[in-house]
Amino acid sequence: MNKKESFITAIKNNEGIIYKIASLYTNDVHDKDDLVQEIIYQLWKSFDSFDQRSALSTWMYRVSMNVAIYHLKISKRKVVTVPLDEQFSDLPEAVNPGWEEKMAVFRQHLNNLNLLDKGIVMLYLENKSYEEIAQITGISETNVGTRIFRIKEKLKNQITKQF
Amino acid sequence: MELEDLKNTWGDVTNQVKNQQKLNPEMIEQMTRAKYHSRLKKIACPEIIGVIICMIGAGYIVLNFSKLAGIFLQAAGIISILLLLLMSAISLLSLPRFHMSRDMNRPYSETLKEFAVQKIRFHKFQKINLMLSYLLLVNTIILLSMFFSGKDLTGNKYFWIFSFSFGYIFLLFYSKWVSKYYNKTLRQAEDQLKELAS
Repeated sequence: MNKKESFITAIKNNEGIIYKIASLYTNDVHDKDDLVQEIIYQLWKSFDSFDQRSALSTWMYRVSMNVAIYHLKISKRKVVTVPLDEQFSDLPEAVNPGWEEKMAVFRQHLNNLNLLDKGIVMLYLENKSYEEIAQITGISETNVGTRIFRIKEKLKNQITKQF
Repeated sequence: MELEDLKNTWGDVTNQVKNQQKLNPEMIEQMTRAKYHSRLKKIACPEIIGVIICMIGAGYIVLNFSKLAGIFLQAAGIISILLLLLMSAISLLSLPRFHMSRDMNRPYSETLKEFAVQKIRFHKFQKINLMLSYLLLVNTIILLSMFFSGKDLTGNKYFWIFSFSFGYIFLLFYSKWVSKYYNKTLRQAEDQLKELAS
């Protein structure tokens, strides 16, 4: 299998990661589609740097989340994008209307968190172990545990304030 | 809704995503090509517009330098040109380098750290520019009087009384507002750095 074929297989097997990250870090459909493209482009560019010491999904989370932050910062500074071909514009939310509503619930709850905590929560929701979360985010396992505890408290307080 | 409830809902979302896999090999291949790389053209950002305005101002003073008679006015002209160039350079230096060619393979917290450092740097430079703009205001008023009415300040006292008063009132409120904004964002960025270091 050549490099491109391996990459395509890797993306196909893990495309859910890309869509979930893109949906969590953006607020509208066009922005999300842009971010999906950007993530795939950057994953391709970084594919050679994947050393197989960590799991493929760990590497994909790390790259995708980094791209998401860059995208977030750049879109604040008003950037125009190059659209994909018409035939490629039909990305997941278009076929499943419930998806966007569910993602809106997550955004509503997670938008009050800073970007580090937001990333940690997403990985926690993905059932990642503290070790994997530490590998992806670059903070210690103990710190991951402490932060998750604090985030739980914060979310609890947030809900109490709402009702 | 607590974190554990969110986890259950997230599980539903994950199943939904699995059932609607949309990317096909052709799409993925297209997305890996540079021409489909989104975010190609940055539109002019405020800092670039500011630099252009400063350059036009400096150019205007250079072109009309011969109208400035006497050492006092010529010194004001030279100081204004230098200030405009310095402010342009500071603006360009302060531009955050949000290039996508960075190492995307590094840990997430390092990227966040880099952004926080860039933000602090950007706001510190902008504060310096704001202080320089006070000096520029004084010089510009001296020169404007000469360029547009052909008289120096001593022969045009109403002009400078009004322009100094209005200019300073405007700058005072503007700088207070900007400082408040900068201080807030600086504090946030510094807090983020502290948090990342802990």
